[in-house]
Amino acid sequence: MTAFLALLHRDLRVASRNALPLLMGTLTQPILVVLVFGNILPRLHLVADEFRTVMVPGLMSITMMMAGVQGVLMPLTIDLSGSREVDERLLAPISVLGVAIEKVVAGAIHAAVAGLTALPAMMLLMHRVTGVEVHPRWAVLLPLVALCGLLSAAFGLTIGSQVQPRFSGLLFAVILGPMMLFGCAYYPWTGLAVIGPLQYIFLLNPLVFMSESMRMAVTPDVSHMPLPLLIVGTVGFAALFTLLGARSFEKRTIL
Amino acid sequence: MSAILAVEDLVKTYRGTRKTPAVEAVRGVSFEVAPGEFFGLLGPNGAGKSTTLGCITTLVRPTAGRVTVDGIDVMRRPTEAKRRIAVVPQTRNLDRDLTVREVLTFHAAYFGLRKAERESRADRLLAEMQLTEKAGVKPLTLSGGLQQRLLIARALMHDPKVLLLDEPTIGLDPQARRLLWETLSRLHDGGLTLIMTTHYMEEADRLCQRLAIIDHGRILQLDRPAALKKALPGGRILDLWVRSPEPIAPRLEALPGVLRVEKVTGTGQEDGFERLRLFVDPKDGLLDRALQAVQGAGGDLQHVSLTQPSLEDVYIHLTGKELRE
Repeated sequence: MTAFLALLHRDLRVASRNALPLLMGTLTQPILVVLVFGNILPRLHLVADEFRTVMVPGLMSITMMMAGVQGVLMPLTIDLSGSREVDERLLAPISVLGVAIEKVVAGAIHAAVAGLTALPAMMLLMHRVTGVEVHPRWAVLLPLVALCGLLSAAFGLTIGSQVQPRFSGLLFAVILGPMMLFGCAYYPWTGLAVIGPLQYIFLLNPLVFMSESMRMAVTPDVSHMPLPLLIVGTVGFAALFTLLGARSFEKRTIL
Repeated sequence: MSAILAVEDLVKTYRGTRKTPAVEAVRGVSFEVAPGEFFGLLGPNGAGKSTTLGCITTLVRPTAGRVTVDGIDVMRRPTEAKRRIAVVPQTRNLDRDLTVREVLTFHAAYFGLRKAERESRADRLLAEMQLTEKAGVKPLTLSGGLQQRLLIARALMHDPKVLLLDEPTIGLDPQARRLLWETLSRLHDGGLTLIMTTHYMEEADRLCQRLAIIDHGRILQLDRPAALKKALPGGRILDLWVRSPEPIAPRLEALPGVLRVEKVTGTGQEDGFERLRLFVDPKDGLLDRALQAVQGAGGDLQHVSLTQPSLEDVYIHLTGKELRE
């Protein structure tokens, strides 16, 4: 446990030194989307009023997914580079699984900070826009943010330890791009009833559960998926990716 | 005294993929290292030295065999084993996001040292390695020699029982190399057990108390450097720089007192002269007979040298080739 906490301390120290570029990297997208879809387009009467409310939790979940994945992927790229910085961690008195889980926790903290910064930033940008019904329920939001952070970081570890670093750009285009479009960020999952049983295919996308979690926590007036399904999905995906990620991390690091 | 490190029948086969065949990197290596010993693994690139070291440090999973450090099975209780060892890796894997000082203090924190202890040890090791002035800079801005010293300082932070060094002087200039040798000797004098891989003969000869010469994943010979040299046939080496219209080696090999003749490739060949190495048992008149053999074949003799065998000669004798650099 000592080694685990010391590794986490090191990661947070390094992340706090790079806080500004890290946050800029993850906050640019939600801020710009809010500016266009939450501010400009509504004034031009080009989007429905409800959309502004619906997209806020969705953008939070996208921000967290990006931050979680990047929070694991970037250090992992250095770790697994030619100089094998990861070996120092692996030589610390901690199991390989412990090293992997520490990476997930560090990424989750990164994701949580990004999500919790994105929310007030978006609300600030839309404070003069009418019809935005965002009312965060903090007691629900905070545990869900932590859980979603773990999910996104574990997903980052899974893909990061399986994909060669030089393909990480492709990763964002081919995997994360589609995930975001089909991740119920810009529309609630319950509304997908209009497409019939296809609605359930969306449940293969972990981002759906993150968006719905945030929806439940910050926009109580918008309908969200049933709570049991939401919890099972979020916890299930977080556990699954932690397991898969840790396994491929071990395969990648111990020869 | 019981061994601080025991390697028993170690085998490591890297599984092949569709494109690459499986590699048998280590094929049954066994050795023991006594507490306080300076032990060397000498061999060319690809001999299996680093893989053997990897198995000892838990970073490589052995296919078969057993490694114990201070009586602890490395495979079964890796966390306990890792507390007792420290590694100076071949690639300098210093944490590029920390300062030189933080590299040391965080390493100690991973091993659970208290803050006051971390700070005082960092101070002491920075001073010992002459890195105090560089404490605030990032490690990647340091020269190769300083980075190497920082790696050693880092390894010593948690007070290991065994220090493992993988090709520690590779890429260092002669001065930095000498300084590193002094540092390693000092650590050895202080009672630390050191295990080093190298393909530099001079280094192995100078530092190591016992040496395992390893090639193709097997130990060819294991002994003290002096004993290894003594074991060469004849015990002396006669080098001849000759030029001859017809092959001269068979004539020399037939001479009494000559045990073996090898052609040495590489340095100092010009004007058609080649260097022949004769493993000899010096007997009266050997030089005369060698000279006559050269003249008898219509050859010229440019230069002669009679020397004590070096570790390199031992190596060539064992493997039939020069070290692959």
